Amino acid sequence: MPEINLVQAVNLALARAMAEDANVLVLGEDVAAEGGVFRATDGLLTRFGSDRVFDTPLAENAIAGLSVGLAAQGFRPVAEIQFTGFIYPAIDQLVNHASRLRTRTRGRLTCPLVVRSPAGGGIRAIEHHSESPEAMFAHVPGLRVVVPSSPARAYGLLLAAIRDPDPVVFLEPTRLYRAAREEVEDDGAALPLDRCFVLREGSDITFVTWGAMIKETLAAADTLAGEGISVEVIDVATLKPLDNDSVVASVAKTGRCVIIHEAPLTGGFGAEIAARIAERGLISLLAPIERVAGWDTVMPLPRLEQHYLPGEPRIVAAARRILAYQ
Amino acid sequence: MPSAEKILELPDIAEAARQPAAATVARFEIRYSRFLDPKGNALRPLPDFAVDRAELVALYRAMVLARTFDAKAVALQRTGRLGTFPSALGQEAVAVGIAAAMHKDDVFLPSFREHGAQLWRGVSLVELFLFWGGDERGSDFAEARNDFPICVPVGTHAPHAVGVALAFKLRQEQRVAVCAFGDGATSKGDVAEALNIAGVWRLPLVFVINNNHWAISVPVVQQTAAKTLAQKAIAAGIEGEQVDGNDVIAVREAVARGVAKARAGGGPHLVEALTYRLSDHTTADDARRYRSDSDVSPHWGEDPITRLRNHLVGRGIWGKADEEGLLAEVSAGVDKAAEAYLATPPQGPNTIFDFTYETLPQDLIEQRRAMLGMARE
Amino acid sequence: MSTFVLPDLGEGLQEAELVAWHVAAGDHVVADQPLVSVETEKAVVEVPSPQSGRIARLCALPGERVKVGAALVEFDEAARADTGTVVGELAAATPPPARVADPAPAGAAAVRATPAVRALATRLGVDLKIVAATGPGGAVTSADVERAARALTEAGPAEPLAGVRRAMAVNMTRSHAEIVPATVSDEADIEAWSPGSDTTIRLVRAVVAGCTAVPELNAWYDGRNMERRLIKQIDLGLAVDTGDGLFVPVLRNVGGRDAADLRRGIEAMKRDVRARSVPLAELRGQTITLSNFGMFGGRFAALVIVPPQVAILGAGRIAPRAVVADGRLVAHRLLPLSLTFDHRAVTGGEAARFLKAAIEELERPE
Repeated sequence: MPEINLVQAVNLALARAMAEDANVLVLGEDVAAEGGVFRATDGLLTRFGSDRVFDTPLAENAIAGLSVGLAAQGFRPVAEIQFTGFIYPAIDQLVNHASRLRTRTRGRLTCPLVVRSPAGGGIRAIEHHSESPEAMFAHVPGLRVVVPSSPARAYGLLLAAIRDPDPVVFLEPTRLYRAAREEVEDDGAALPLDRCFVLREGSDITFVTWGAMIKETLAAADTLAGEGISVEVIDVATLKPLDNDSVVASVAKTGRCVIIHEAPLTGGFGAEIAARIAERGLISLLAPIERVAGWDTVMPLPRLEQHYLPGEPRIVAAARRILAYQ
Repeated sequence: MPSAEKILELPDIAEAARQPAAATVARFEIRYSRFLDPKGNALRPLPDFAVDRAELVALYRAMVLARTFDAKAVALQRTGRLGTFPSALGQEAVAVGIAAAMHKDDVFLPSFREHGAQLWRGVSLVELFLFWGGDERGSDFAEARNDFPICVPVGTHAPHAVGVALAFKLRQEQRVAVCAFGDGATSKGDVAEALNIAGVWRLPLVFVINNNHWAISVPVVQQTAAKTLAQKAIAAGIEGEQVDGNDVIAVREAVARGVAKARAGGGPHLVEALTYRLSDHTTADDARRYRSDSDVSPHWGEDPITRLRNHLVGRGIWGKADEEGLLAEVSAGVDKAAEAYLATPPQGPNTIFDFTYETLPQDLIEQRRAMLGMARE
Repeated sequence: MSTFVLPDLGEGLQEAELVAWHVAAGDHVVADQPLVSVETEKAVVEVPSPQSGRIARLCALPGERVKVGAALVEFDEAARADTGTVVGELAAATPPPARVADPAPAGAAAVRATPAVRALATRLGVDLKIVAATGPGGAVTSADVERAARALTEAGPAEPLAGVRRAMAVNMTRSHAEIVPATVSDEADIEAWSPGSDTTIRLVRAVVAGCTAVPELNAWYDGRNMERRLIKQIDLGLAVDTGDGLFVPVLRNVGGRDAADLRRGIEAMKRDVRARSVPLAELRGQTITLSNFGMFGGRFAALVIVPPQVAILGAGRIAPRAVVADGRLVAHRLLPLSLTFDHRAVTGGEAARFLKAAIEELERPE
């Protein structure tokens, strides 16, 4: 089985979904002949034709809005927003309409759409190309928010998202697009959207993260393992709806938790997870919960970018602070 | 878009080399039309459907029904039995004209002032009362299953109409989407984006601007410098026209033309229907804060219901007994529906949760349990 | 308020039947707006409003016949209240509720420990207050709790104090809370004692000598009211240590009894103590206490005064020591004495003079 990277896994999942279900459409800016600026939709136009893969004019709000119309008519549109820096105009359609079409019509009209977009920084890009808006979407009732962290999980989670009867915001970590390769079997198997993934089991401390930060988190876990500290690493993957049980069970086991995300600290999704741990697992805590996150500033331009992204040293330092509570 | 044509067509350089120093490369023209003057006199030969008494009576009845429903809704709101309600007083011809021009399996996407269209297309009086009375079941239409519910964030349903029309085109169905919005909506990006995409993709989509002159307190002359709203279609490569929105024959004729063109693959169309909002913006608004009664009074002279009645009476095809009978029948029907609405118990509070997702996730199951526990106390 | 009457509809008609209202009470209407449809012989006609205004009342019902000139509609001038919105309803301001005084805030937990550590302490039966904290910021860690638990198990089971031991704990606690103790010590040279001298009786006589010289040490002090009571009679508390604990029975009026009487009293006391039959009254009322701890060992001590007494004299073990007598180093038997006094009521000078007098008495051969 060949090894593929994350963006190739996205491409594989899209092709698979389109082959299985004639209602799946791919649309967005530059997704057809160009194959997507990151090649996520490469080859799909040739394979499925311009009735299933098509470019839209430059209008993110309308991309999301017309996807709502398509979905209400029974299609399964997978709309690409070229960068999450441009997803904000689409928030109106996602929040005011996609998220609530089912409930406001008592299920008469539904919205099985997917909006997928490259998210996160660390790619030395210009302004507005390094956004992490997952917390904004996670706050909206009726949406699902999914962030894959590996090629295999991107494949399985995107298939699940496309098959899901409700709207899904699928944020792909740009920094991971080409970062790692692994074997991904094109077996059409979806991964569950209601569960976190325990990537590594451990007993001394729990690391909770998602997206590109998996990389630094695993590196930090390795560093600590070298000192005899056993780290459990959880990939949240589906932020909304959140699987409480995995995280709470892990903290019950280890008593210590560090939550890591690239998005800015205040109001970040780590706060939600910390609140859930406090609500459901406070009695297990041996030490305060730590969050390692982006600063409450705009992502700096590339020359200072490395000072923003939470790196392995910050994660390790946070872990050490709470491991001191022996 | 979705098309079999080759996408790339480079400009003809040779052609460009032959251009003179300056030339007019585009002009536009917006036509206005009507059939009946305010007194109901035919100004020109009527379209075929208007020769038929039954068709005209159906239009008349629909407008009377719309107005009677409207008045009842306002009365219920005044007595605390309905929520905030946007009356469509004076605009009945626009709504009825639109719906009468559509096929049953076309899809209608209203703003929030087209009750007459919703009623024509099979949304029941009880459903309308339920919705405006604050019950989501009012949007679960038993008929017109594909029509969209009303849209509060102004103009944001225009992109939905694009998606619906695209669905028809992809499936090669002979169906048309019709999207209605007001003069205020034409200032929104959503509408501009939707027009543009509909135009470049040649979608089976008819836009109808329900231009009642007011966006709450802002008159249309403060909304845009454009002489007409119809010409905003020109910018999207779409044909636009104006009609007298208080002449239901004119509205129906123009929308029907647009719908036929779209159905035949001729692409989108836009009709700007000129009318006037005789009521306050909603039952919570007091329009006297920004317009005087003396501005409003003259517009009663353009009343679409009076106009068509006078025309019918003038043609000798409508009499006193018809009028009495219709008023009685419609009042009774509206009263009955209002009673049925008032007698409908509210949904169980569990329904706050039940339709959030197809399958309720664990979080919401727990929250629902907590809420139901509190509700019992 | 103005009334609009049914106007002349033409055709020579004097009345019409009301078919349907187009407005309702409370509506604001404008001039020319149709108010009602009425039926004439020939047609159903709409009657427009003559003015703008608010409909106060509709004066007829559908189906009624209304005469020309009869009241149709009443307008009023009532201004419409400003809703302040175009959607929904805004509730008017209500006066804020009266402020209830905040209850006294609960004291914050003194011990810093995370919930898991607290749960562990509860499970192991460890009182967090006694655990030495080694965690960051002075927090008690689970290791601290486990260490304390181990220490407690090795320490044997906790037994609650009862009886005499409990009384001692109570009294000593009370003493510590009230008394301000100071101690002065010295030694009496008893080389001159004849063999067979009764040490206890000699010590009792020494206390009497001290109290005679410095009556201020035979007193009761009330710290709350800051009142001192000098007592004439010396009722001497005599510390008696038994296997069960410390008893301090009273030897009454030691100043007024001879040696033989004192000896009889002491023997009776000891018998009663051994038999645990000391009447309660005989355990109270000491004016000053003597503790001959030297019987067991020890030289000097700072003893504990039980209020309201102000002094306790402690006698250590008699032993030969090197002293200088007549310029030469010799071995004499010495009796160590420690006088602990309550410095709130007794001065150092008083204590020193008491001790000097006691020693002078002790150093007499007889």
